[in-house]
This record gives sequence, C-alpha cells and structure tokens, in this order.
Amino acid sequence: MKHRLISLLIIAAILIPFTIVQAAETIKIGALYTMTGRGGQYGKDSEVAIKIALDEVNAKGLPGGAKLDVIITDDKNPQYAVSVAKRYITDEKCKFLFGIISTAIGLAVTEVSKEHKVIFVGTDHAGTDLTANKFQKYYFRSSNNTFQSMMAGAYYLKDEVKNWKKIAYIGPDYAYGRDQWMELKWGLDKLGVKYQVVGEYWPKLYEPDYTSYITAIIKAAPDILVNGMWGGDTVAFIKQAKPYGLFSKMKYFHVDAGGNYEALAGLGADMPAGIIMSARHHNNWPETPANKTYVEKFYKAAGRYPSYAAEGAYVGVHMVAEAIRKVGNANDTEALVKAMEGMKIPCPEDPQGFTSYIDPKTHQIVQIQAIGTTVKNDKFPPAKYMLGNFKVYPADKLWPSFEYIDYMTKVKGK
Amino acid sequence: MDINTFIAQFLSGLSTAMLLFLISSGLTLIFGVVNVLNFAHGSFYLLGTYFAYQLMQLFDNFWVGLLVGAVGAGIVGMVIEFLFLRRIYGRAQEGAFQLLMTFAFILILDDVVKFIWGTEYKTIPKPASLAGSLNIGTVTVPVYNIFIIIVGLLVVLFAWYVLTKTDTGKMVRASSLDRIMLGLLGTNVPMIMTVVFGVATAMGGLAGVLAAPLRTVTPGAGVEFIIDSMIVVVIGGFGNFWGALLGALIIGEVLAFGILWMPELATVLTFVVMIIVLIVKPEGLLAKKAVGRK
Repeated sequence: MKHRLISLLIIAAILIPFTIVQAAETIKIGALYTMTGRGGQYGKDSEVAIKIALDEVNAKGLPGGAKLDVIITDDKNPQYAVSVAKRYITDEKCKFLFGIISTAIGLAVTEVSKEHKVIFVGTDHAGTDLTANKFQKYYFRSSNNTFQSMMAGAYYLKDEVKNWKKIAYIGPDYAYGRDQWMELKWGLDKLGVKYQVVGEYWPKLYEPDYTSYITAIIKAAPDILVNGMWGGDTVAFIKQAKPYGLFSKMKYFHVDAGGNYEALAGLGADMPAGIIMSARHHNNWPETPANKTYVEKFYKAAGRYPSYAAEGAYVGVHMVAEAIRKVGNANDTEALVKAMEGMKIPCPEDPQGFTSYIDPKTHQIVQIQAIGTTVKNDKFPPAKYMLGNFKVYPADKLWPSFEYIDYMTKVKGK
Repeated sequence: MDINTFIAQFLSGLSTAMLLFLISSGLTLIFGVVNVLNFAHGSFYLLGTYFAYQLMQLFDNFWVGLLVGAVGAGIVGMVIEFLFLRRIYGRAQEGAFQLLMTFAFILILDDVVKFIWGTEYKTIPKPASLAGSLNIGTVTVPVYNIFIIIVGLLVVLFAWYVLTKTDTGKMVRASSLDRIMLGLLGTNVPMIMTVVFGVATAMGGLAGVLAAPLRTVTPGAGVEFIIDSMIVVVIGGFGNFWGALLGALIIGEVLAFGILWMPELATVLTFVVMIIVLIVKPEGLLAKKAVGRK
C-alpha cells in the first residue's frame, strides 16, 4: 500500500508540471504575406522579423505563461486572403489578423476584421485609406502610411530644395501610386508652395521597360521628378534612366519607398549619388543601439540585411504582446483595442528621445520621418550607396491630419 | 514635335520593340512549329537571367553569362519538351493540357529560382564597353540600348537566313505547315520540335540576359511581360516569326509616342491596337489565314 502511494505520488509529480504546461495558452496570430513573385522578399523578410520578435516576446513572457505563435500563409489575392482570414478566425481560433503587403488585400481583410470583431495589425501596406476614410476600430497599423511620407516630402521640397517650380510625377497606375501624388500635392498646397505640374506618367505596376517614359520626362524638363514606385520597379527605372543623364538634368525625389534597402542593394554601384529618397526603415539610421541590435539580429538570422517591411512585422508582434500584457489575456478584444489606442511602442527606427505611438483616433502608428540623399556607403553589402544627410521631420507634424482625412473621404468616399 | 524629340522617342520605342521581339519571337516560333502556346516562356527568360548571374559570380564576364544564359535556358527547354510536353501532343483537349502544364511550369520554375537564388534582387552589370551614352545632336542614347537594337537586328537577319536559305529552315517551316505529311516523308518531326523548342527558349534566355542590366533580376520577373508578348504575337499573327517583329515594332512605337502625347492612356493604347487588329484582321497582320490545329 505504502509502495503504491509512493508510486502514485511519483507519477503525479511527473504529470502535474505537464498538465500546467499544457494549460498555458498558445495565442495564435494569423498572418498573411506575399511570399512569391516580386513582393516575395517582403514576405520572407517579415517572416524572419516575426521569428526574432516572437523569441523576444516569449522570452520576456506573457500573462499566465501564454506563448505567442504566428501562422503565415501566402496572401495571393484579395479573395483568397479573405478566405484564409476567415479560416484563421473560425478554424484556427486566431486572436489577431496580421501582416499584408498590398493595400488592395489590406482593404479586403479589414472588412473581415470588422465583421468578426477581430483585431487586424497591418504591418506593411501603406495605403492611407485604412487609417483614414476606411478606418474601422479593430484595425491598427505598425508602419507609416503614404501620407506621412509625402507630407514629410512636402516639407522637404519647401525647405530644402531651392529655385524650383516645374514638377512631374511618375508612379505605378494603381491606388498606391495615385495616392502618393494626391498627398504630395495636397501637402505642397497646404504649405503654400507654388508649383507647376509639367507631366504625370502612369506606367503599370511591374512595367519592365521605362525607356519611352524617360525620354518623355526629359522632354518635359521638370525641375523635380517625383517617383512613386517601389522595389524592383525603382531598380529598373533608375538603371534605365541613368545613362540618359536624367539625374543630372533634374532633382530626383522618391520618399515613400525609393530608399528601401532592397532597392539600394539591387542597384549596387548603379545608384546615382545625391538623389533624394526615404524609406519606412533605414538600416543605417538612426544610429541607436536599438536599431543596430535589430539589424544585427536580422542579419544573423537571415544572412542578409532587412528590407523596410521586416520592421513593421517586428513592431507589430511587439504591439500585440504589449496589449496582451496590459489586458492580462488575449480574449477581451474590446479591452485590447483600448490598450492599443495611444500605446507607446519603441521601434528600431525611433531616434534618441522619441518613442513611436498609436494615434488613438485613427489607429495609425505615428513616427518620425527622415529623408536623405544617396551617399557612398558599402557597410551594408551588396548596397554600395545608402542614404545620408538626413533631414528629420517631427511625427506630430505629419499625422494625424483630420483636414486631409476629410479631403480624402470627399475624394475617395467612405 | 521637333526632330530631336522624334528621334529620341523613336529610338526608345525601337529599343523596347527589340527586347519585346526577342521574347515574342520564341513564343511565336513554339506556337508555329510545336503548336504549343507556351505560357511558361517568361520562365525561360528568368532562367537565362539567373544562369548568367551565377556564371558571372564565378567569371565576372558578361559575355560568358550571355552565352551560358541562352544555352542553359535552351537546354532546360528541350528537357521539358522531351520529358513532359511531348506526352500531351495529340491528346483530346490538348489545349487545356498545354495551358495547365505550361502554367504549372511557371510556378515550378519560379519556385526553383527562389529556392536556389533566394528572393532578394540580383544585379547583372553592363559590360564596361557598353556602359556609356552617345549624343546624336541633342539626343542622348545609351550605348547599351543601341547594342540591344543591333542584337535584335542580327537575330532577324540570322533567322531570315536560317528559315529561308537552309534545309533545316525549310524543314522547320514545313513542320509548321503540316507535321503529319513531313513525318510521312521520313523526317524526324519529334526531334525538330524538341530542337525548335530549345532554340525558342534559348532566345527567351538570351532576351533575359540582355534585359537584366536594365531591369530587376527577381523571381516573378518572367511573368511580367507575358501579356505584352501575347499582344505582340496576336497583332503579328500567331506562329508567324515576321509577324512578331512587326507586332513588336508597332507596340514599341505606339507606346513610345503614346507616352509623349497622352501619357494617361499610353498603356491602354497597346490594347486598343490589338483590338483594332482583331476586328480588322483577326488572324494577325502577317498571317495568311486563321491558324488552326494541325
């Protein structure tokens, strides 16, 4: 009898910790990213950053010993992404929707989030609509929208570029390209800058050959050419424009995605010096311990430097974890929404003395924007040029702008 | 419009047209001879680019990369034709099988590229001798664009010679007209089809390497111009090699002058041209009659 009792105690001693471990909840985040084609690099980089953030979050711990986990699926197109988002909620019991590169897909998935009352953290797509005219209270964004980039750009053109009047624009012929141009012009008008538009060019997304656009732009002879392309389109345009001498004939201005690291790396020595660019994250700015550590961790995990998209994913995971810590669980969605509104969230891109935060009214992360020019710098190979000579624009001057939101709602509808 | 603007826009249109021709000519050759609408043609363009990139990592020589890119894409093309496409020739609903199989190869080859070389953009620099620009009056023309125009013209001359002056060319043309009759006359038609498929995919690979210094080397790049190539082939006539040249020239110049005069509508204009051709001459400008199944 005594032996049996001892045996039972031993078995209980072995099993009880397992029971406790099994009881610890795994909180699932359902992520959607573009994993194939041109945008595939953003998805892959976001995946790496998510793993880094998960390790950090789970090492720090969550209430009740819960663990955070992220499931990633290729988003393909809006219809498919919507079906996966619904499956995440109903079958996988995900507490959060997450990610998405394309604004078109983001706009589709935000409807699922609204319908099912599940928080959706957008980490990359930059269409201003989602935190403006298409705002719904379960949507949050962990990277800046195009308005923030273009408003900072308007300040730059007003203060840093002298003696210009004629301006032209080239950008992909869909919402992202169209919105940037609308936002920049609105910003310039708001700041009282007088200008003359001498050309607007709308190549299709992923256009492989810009030769005829380049010769037409040179003929139009603007003082400033604004480019609204991203990724490989930037690489192709610059490669093709350089031998035509375009960069010595006019100022080149490309401030939402021109300075993305993947474009700097893709161009290598072909990148012209002194052109005006920015990105949503810079591997070499700010030179803070937080940014250096983040970039080093990414390099160690992936064997390459991160594109801007990775930072949004990294910050998004930390946002979710911080909200769960504040509320104490991941089940009370309304409390989580309240916890995220106004939340301060340290980001690798925050310069010393500033912490990014979520605007409580629009759920948009509010961040400082830094615009620079290309300078020789081979510390982040294969890039041969990085951005330098940064001009920094305070976050609260850029967002929120309810005047612009009203304008956008009037132009594009609710 | 002043003469300098005309020259600048015409030359930019010509350079666009020549790259389109190099891609589309392979597509139309495969359709004309092998009777396969190869949706995966862009994937051979992509493979050529990556083969060249890999070789240039080892030898740092553009010309070696150009050769290996074209030949490598051609070899993969022949293997795919021999092992896979050949199995669906003559099947009931062959067209549907073609669509499924070639589309599957787009996905497979794209993933193979991603698996081997990763998703980040690669760089293939121009050879130093072709890196500068020429000034014709006040018009600046990059030397590399002139080089592409010259290569395009050389391919046209070479193809004209092979197709019209050699026995091989005659057999290729004969197999595009009636492959059954040619087989009955004792010609090894399957081998012709494999070789033609290889040559056409090698042209895709060649176009990929030539375009790489001007474009982005990335997975997915192969599917981006398949629509433009299809438009070229439709305008020129499915299966008609010279039609591909004419179609490419029309599209290149319509786009070049469209961008100058009505930039808002430039990309739509190419589709407008295609629709007009489909209404006026549905079989394509240089096709004698509608092409049916052989």
